[in-house]
Amino acid sequence: MGRCPAPLPLLEKIKVMLRIENLRVKLAEEDKLILDGVSLEVPKGQVHAIMGPNGSGKSTLAYVLSGRDGYQVTGGRIEWEGEDLLALEPDERAAKGVFLAFQYPMEIPGVATMTFLHTAVNSVRKQRGEKEFTIPEFLKRARAEAARLAMPDDMLKRPLNVGFSGGEKKRMEILQMAMLEPTLCVMDETDSGLDIDAVRVVSEGVNRLRSKDRAMLIITHYQRLLNYIVPDRVHVMAAGKIQKSGGKELALELEKTGYAEFQSRAA
Amino acid sequence: MTVAIARTKAEQGFTRNFEAAAPQLPGGPSVAAARRAAIGAFAGLGLPHRRLEAWKYTDLRSALKEALPAAVGAVRAPPGPAQIDNALEELAELDAHRVVFVDGVYAPALSSAATLAGLAFAPLAERLASPEGAAAGGLAAAADEDAVVALNTAFMTDGAVIDIARGAKLAKPLLLLFVRAAGEGRLVTTRNLLSVGANARATVIEAHLTLPGAAAGQSNALSELAIAEGAEVAHLKLTLAGEAESHLATWRPTLAAGASYRAFQFTAGTGLVRNGVALTFAGEGAKADVSGSFLGRGNEHIDTTLVIDHALPGCESRELFKGVLTDRARGVFQGKVIVRPDAQKTDGKQMAQVLMLSEDAEFDSKPELEINADDVVCGHGSTSAEIDADLLFYFRARGITAEEARALLIESFIGEAIDKVDEVLRPALMAVARRRLAQLSR
Repeated sequence: MGRCPAPLPLLEKIKVMLRIENLRVKLAEEDKLILDGVSLEVPKGQVHAIMGPNGSGKSTLAYVLSGRDGYQVTGGRIEWEGEDLLALEPDERAAKGVFLAFQYPMEIPGVATMTFLHTAVNSVRKQRGEKEFTIPEFLKRARAEAARLAMPDDMLKRPLNVGFSGGEKKRMEILQMAMLEPTLCVMDETDSGLDIDAVRVVSEGVNRLRSKDRAMLIITHYQRLLNYIVPDRVHVMAAGKIQKSGGKELALELEKTGYAEFQSRAA
Repeated sequence: MTVAIARTKAEQGFTRNFEAAAPQLPGGPSVAAARRAAIGAFAGLGLPHRRLEAWKYTDLRSALKEALPAAVGAVRAPPGPAQIDNALEELAELDAHRVVFVDGVYAPALSSAATLAGLAFAPLAERLASPEGAAAGGLAAAADEDAVVALNTAFMTDGAVIDIARGAKLAKPLLLLFVRAAGEGRLVTTRNLLSVGANARATVIEAHLTLPGAAAGQSNALSELAIAEGAEVAHLKLTLAGEAESHLATWRPTLAAGASYRAFQFTAGTGLVRNGVALTFAGEGAKADVSGSFLGRGNEHIDTTLVIDHALPGCESRELFKGVLTDRARGVFQGKVIVRPDAQKTDGKQMAQVLMLSEDAEFDSKPELEINADDVVCGHGSTSAEIDADLLFYFRARGITAEEARALLIESFIGEAIDKVDEVLRPALMAVARRRLAQLSR
């Protein structure tokens, strides 16, 4: 019996976790195109940064990846581990491993952080066909993770994000990310509103989660965060398109030159 | 000149039913006279209707189609303790002194609060039959202008008369339980008279329930509370009486100087509810919190009407009501805060919020501030909204299904009000609420 050669295209598909092809998106309520043909590939194990000026469409890309309402995809596709991501509901995407760290995490009065986390983790585990955590199992993990992020225990008892400082909210996002064990992490302006110490704590949390099985997309306006989370690739986005891609040195270049070149090019 | 007013079938029915029931209603001649005066007053007033400002959204003249015969005398087959526990759900596990009334009649076999240090209890029926008569029933006051209270005076069969001694601290809550057990719909009328001595502390829970297999009907429940200087009272009410029930309740707490009163009313699964609270600050520096939550579905109608009377300086009042309405349910909130000319340094805050789960649900909210003093802080607010789409997305982005996310968000909404309840009672109440929430279509 002869051995078949390995089907190369399929292998490549698995290696490239996230493939965005010519994605065009407009606001559902308006006619304005926000993403005007974005193409991007993020292979497994890599961290890519998307940098760009305000209004370039960076956050829209993050929301479209996670399935938020209010956007209409008018063209292109998003393939993720060989699957059509756009066909899935937000909670199905989360179960399949997509995680969005919000720029502005929501405050949920009346829901204890622990209740929220426990519900989320077990919901995701159930959908993944994994055994749900009992309360003691869950508490042990959550406390250990909170300790690594230097979060006081009582934060877990308080209503989710209510009265948390900007830094505490971002740490809470990283805690959720660690607990949900995603394979695609999308981080939307995770450093915004953080002082330098908080950036360090949050970045260390993210770096701990870097792994050969996980892809990350770091969306940021400033280069600062990329001193702590060093990316494999940097993409510049302006006017709804990827204008330029390069290595980590591209971020440093942008820090000097700014985005003017790309904005004028777009205009 | 006399004006003949056409009386509805129900209005005529109450008068006729009174004549039938009068010989069996408890009390001596002075009580009988007071009852007769009250039904006379009712005949003049008729049922409250929408042209009366306080009843603008709850027109009893059109809502009550008939007057059910009054329940008088004990039921033939009283329920057992197991049935009572079953009806109490999680509250059954509460370590409390119980006083149970079945179809408006005291049931000593099911009760446990007859002899307690610092607390004197007597069934109202017994007091009405005593030589003190009408005075004991709180009937000495002039005829009421409130038709619902007049009906209560005319028909009341029983209730709890409770005196808590000066300085007594009740270690356990007092659970006053009003259950329906009869197979036919009846008018059940009860009245509680609570007197709390200076610096005493007590928690009183009223639960109005219909046992499985029993018929819902009409109920009229009145609680008068006199809270003396420095006393602290927590007062909880659960109304879970069945979708065929029409439940008219009136609470009239009076607070002396430095007293503290925390009330919470939870209502679900009851056809027509009017929870009226008329609170009077009769001393300086007293504090009151009157809050609650209500869940309405089907055609249920839940009315909360508060009148908070700041008659004296330096008192603080807080009200927070949160409701969830689905199907064609209607919620009503009327919150009147009166600040009299002498009531300087009054501090009043009021909020009513409703989560609407269907397009056909309705919420009518009417805050009324009557401020006649200049050095006061008073605020009010009211919202009605659907579930927040951004919050829902946050849950779903974390892998929580839309259905589960909605359930958690609704629970958290109600939970903010239930957080007002003492933590000893809160878990039981939350469990009862959670069960009712699961029954709402969303």
